[in-house]
Amino acid sequence: MSFVAAIAASHAPNILLEPGAEWDEFMMLHYRMAPQAASTKPSLEAQQKLRRDAEKAYAALRADLEAARPEVLIVVANDQFVNFAYNNIPTFFVTLADEVKGQFTRHRFRYRNGKELGRAILKAGIDAGIDFAFGEYIELQHTQTVPLHFLLPEPKIPILPIYVNTWVEPIPTPRRCFQVGELIRKVADGWKERVAILATGGLSHFPGSPRIGEIDTSFDHKLLEILREGKGRSLAEYSVEEICKAGDSEFLNWMVAIGSVGDAKAKETFYMPDHVATGWGFVSWKI
Amino acid sequence: MSSYHLNRFLFDLKMDGEAYERATGDLDRALGRYELSADETEAIKQGDPRKLRQLGAHGMLALYVLRLNPEFQRNIYWSQK
Repeated sequence: MSFVAAIAASHAPNILLEPGAEWDEFMMLHYRMAPQAASTKPSLEAQQKLRRDAEKAYAALRADLEAARPEVLIVVANDQFVNFAYNNIPTFFVTLADEVKGQFTRHRFRYRNGKELGRAILKAGIDAGIDFAFGEYIELQHTQTVPLHFLLPEPKIPILPIYVNTWVEPIPTPRRCFQVGELIRKVADGWKERVAILATGGLSHFPGSPRIGEIDTSFDHKLLEILREGKGRSLAEYSVEEICKAGDSEFLNWMVAIGSVGDAKAKETFYMPDHVATGWGFVSWKI
Repeated sequence: MSSYHLNRFLFDLKMDGEAYERATGDLDRALGRYELSADETEAIKQGDPRKLRQLGAHGMLALYVLRLNPEFQRNIYWSQK
């Protein structure tokens, strides 16, 4: 068996910004969009505690990832108008580049791309009735770089970015994302290298919406409880509307990882609402 | 009515450095490259992301109109994608 690890983590940009000036400057833009969100702005001390708590969560996930000794890391994330615009928005996209690069403020990222595994997933998808879009160039963005900064800061192994459209309606159903995860698991189980998967995003938040600042912590806690019980499969029954109402459209990225782990229980979960925009969530599954 | 050109202008502000330079240099001329309604043009000139969203811009693209606002032109937000 070559599927060795599955983790999921938030990619909120403020996780990687320095508490204080950087965080506050960044959030000024969101507050211009939704002034009411500024009312819950955390103090510097609260920002620093959030950063420490996020670093602890990422450290736990990184330890599990490194213990599994993966040779390629699939990164399931959503594009936020970096690679895809309204002339062409793929529902699912597999990257076939030789290498992938990106930048987040002063942090630069460059990885080899696991394109051979990508081609195998594409082919398996076509055979199974899941027709991915694909391409030979993408630019990494915060949906990948924020978690990778903490989980794979040195490019020791290739990554394979796979995109899910979680932002531009119509978005795929949780069931379809689960099926994509099942397909990835099937390919990974027969793959010659040790394969790990990282899903990013969420949890509850309403970017670009009048609801910026709202965080449905109850829904998030419910999701994490279901994952701890090993009942992630049941989340495929959720409708897109239920997911979006809670501000959890990026949970669709997680649904791909959930499809890949099947009935495995979450080994560890972490959750911290940032009091600004997003419920930060982190999971490592026991494979 | 499609908001394609509105979203395209905002996407270009985000991703295309030359488009951004054109917009900061001569906004009227830059906007002339897109098929925008009078309301869309006015909202861009007002730099109002909430109005742009009401006109059909994606909320996270509407934000990029603030790149044209001198108050925000050096904001750290633009150094990440």
